[in-house]
Amino acid sequence: MAILLYGLNHQSAPLDLRERLVVSDADLPGVLARLASVPGIDEAFLLSTCNRTEALVCGDPAAAPGLGDFLAAQGGGIGRAELERHAYLHVDQAAVRHLFRVAASLDSMIVGEPQILGQVKTAWALGRAAGTVGAVLDGLLQRTFSVAKRVRSSTGIARAPVSIAHAAADRAREIFGDLAGHHVAVVGAGKMARLAAQHIAAGGVGSLTVVNRSWQGADELARELGGRAVSWDRLYDVLEGADVVIVSTAAPHHVIGLEEAQRLGRARRGRPIFLLDIAVPRNVDPRVHALENMYVYDLDDLKAVAEAGLGERRREAEQAEAIVDRETAAYLEWVRSLEAAPTIVDLRRRLHELGETEMERFRGRLGPLSEEQARALDEFRTALLNKILHHPTLLLKRAGSRPEGGGLIALLREAFGLDAPRAAGRETEAASGESQETSKEEIGKQGTRA
Amino acid sequence: MDAAVLLLRGALVSYAAGSLAAIVPWRRGGKGRSALAPGLAALGAALHTGALFATGAAVGRCPLVTLPEVLSALAWMLTLAALLVWWRSRLDAVLAIELPVAALVLLLAEVLPEASLPPGVGPPPAFLRFHLTVILFGVTALSITFAASLMYLVVDRALKTKRPIAAFRRLPSLAACDRLAYRSLGVAFGLLTLGILSGAVINGLETGRPWTWRPEETLAILAWALLGTIVLARLGWGWRGRRASLLMVVGFCLVLLRMLGL
Repeated sequence: MAILLYGLNHQSAPLDLRERLVVSDADLPGVLARLASVPGIDEAFLLSTCNRTEALVCGDPAAAPGLGDFLAAQGGGIGRAELERHAYLHVDQAAVRHLFRVAASLDSMIVGEPQILGQVKTAWALGRAAGTVGAVLDGLLQRTFSVAKRVRSSTGIARAPVSIAHAAADRAREIFGDLAGHHVAVVGAGKMARLAAQHIAAGGVGSLTVVNRSWQGADELARELGGRAVSWDRLYDVLEGADVVIVSTAAPHHVIGLEEAQRLGRARRGRPIFLLDIAVPRNVDPRVHALENMYVYDLDDLKAVAEAGLGERRREAEQAEAIVDRETAAYLEWVRSLEAAPTIVDLRRRLHELGETEMERFRGRLGPLSEEQARALDEFRTALLNKILHHPTLLLKRAGSRPEGGGLIALLREAFGLDAPRAAGRETEAASGESQETSKEEIGKQGTRA
Repeated sequence: MDAAVLLLRGALVSYAAGSLAAIVPWRRGGKGRSALAPGLAALGAALHTGALFATGAAVGRCPLVTLPEVLSALAWMLTLAALLVWWRSRLDAVLAIELPVAALVLLLAEVLPEASLPPGVGPPPAFLRFHLTVILFGVTALSITFAASLMYLVVDRALKTKRPIAAFRRLPSLAACDRLAYRSLGVAFGLLTLGILSGAVINGLETGRPWTWRPEETLAILAWALLGTIVLARLGWGWRGRRASLLMVVGFCLVLLRMLGL
């Protein structure tokens, strides 16, 4: 059994190809059912966003070409050769590592962006509902979520601002802290003003006022943002009471000049004010920034902050990559340890059978036993066998986690007269219907006891 | 070497190490919050507490008579105040600013001669102790003003230059620095006013004149007047910002110079 990941992303494929492969959430169950029916595939998961479409499957390694055919068909007429030029295939370690990187937002267009983890979770939930995500992929994806959270909490990849709106909101918080009790004024009602105000208001503000030359524009934006509209002739009054001012009008001159700002500063009695000038040409005289307690940031300033933030995220990503590498190795070690599971189950069964047989043989010699004595004898036998099994079980689990552990497993099977491991494991599963989950559960119990 | 000296040196080393542990990661702007600096500060404060008790036991009185004793008590209170603010706000920057000041004050307490304060024929010891206690609490509160004002200046500088420094992200907002500075200044100014008044009474009892215009007295009244002006300007017309913060830093430096007897 292998874990295969086949797909393409924003780095490997152009947009016109990616958009042909996008699968909506509504269509995903049907697409997953078709993917799971590809020969050799046991479990299937599909992640489809505007930046990537990736199929993660668990099954026969020889199923890889089938994945290519599936995606080509899904793309509705994409030639196989064209797909192969842009697609990638990752197997086992590389597949796990890639999945961890994607969920941790290390493979995103903007490193550290928060949406991808939610998208992976949605795809996982849909896969589970469709019945194509089974025990192996479910375990892998749950591990993926914890790795992504760990990367976000222990590195700064999501902290530095990378968009102009984010940078503006960050600056406002650096001046005022929480904006919940502060007043935001929006001067102008254009698209840029709307976007910036939406971003800042989304974090929660005390109150919001929109001032615009056109009353209708002000009123519309104020209603949308849950604020109030004020006529243009009261601009100065609004500025006097505001803490954060977003200025974006179509005026070709300064709406807030140096003299007005000086007068404003006196009227505000030293309270700081953050003037976010996102108009082109600028609406706030840049000299205002030199005045005490007045902070003016224009588009270029915010762009520089966002670019610096992107650089900071890239630096933090190096640390995040190290976490992903460690977690990938730990996950694969855990998976390998499961390969010892059939032998552990066989060994436990064998010793308990021997114990039972010998106990039956000797029970006659002991004479009639009371119910209490018989129970004590059974408990003694079970406790003794568990103690004998303790160290071999640990040894097998450790051997399973090492690539060269197969020799030790074979030796133990021979020493205790067990069948060949794989055949025995599969026969047992086939005969009794016990899944690998049962084995894991037993090992887990043994591990807990250990 | 007696136990008090050993404990005091241990406290000094802990304060110095705590200063480094607070300054180095803060300056680098690292994101991991380490318990090393507060841990060292707490260790230093514990050793220092032991040293104060040991000194008191050795001299058979409250160790608040000689200049080194007063400075030692001041260093101890500065550390406790820094730890209190850190505990409430988790601001490493407060430790990075306050611990070096505490270490410097304690170092001077170690190297200064054992000169006694004027014996004071007039004022009863309890009144002298009251005077010293309000002054010590006042200076401690003012040290918080100093730390908050320095943080304000750093954040303001970063916002004005539009080039955030590495330590910038681990500092509170301008508004939070301003609140902390003015609240602590209000407390400090009230206590220092009481200290100045009680000092004038002590002077009057000793020399017959409340004010003798000695340089250290002039320095104290200058610092007090400066702080009073800042408080009045804030209350009167809301004066705040970079210049006010700079003056608060200067005010603390003047008070500290007076305390060090320089």
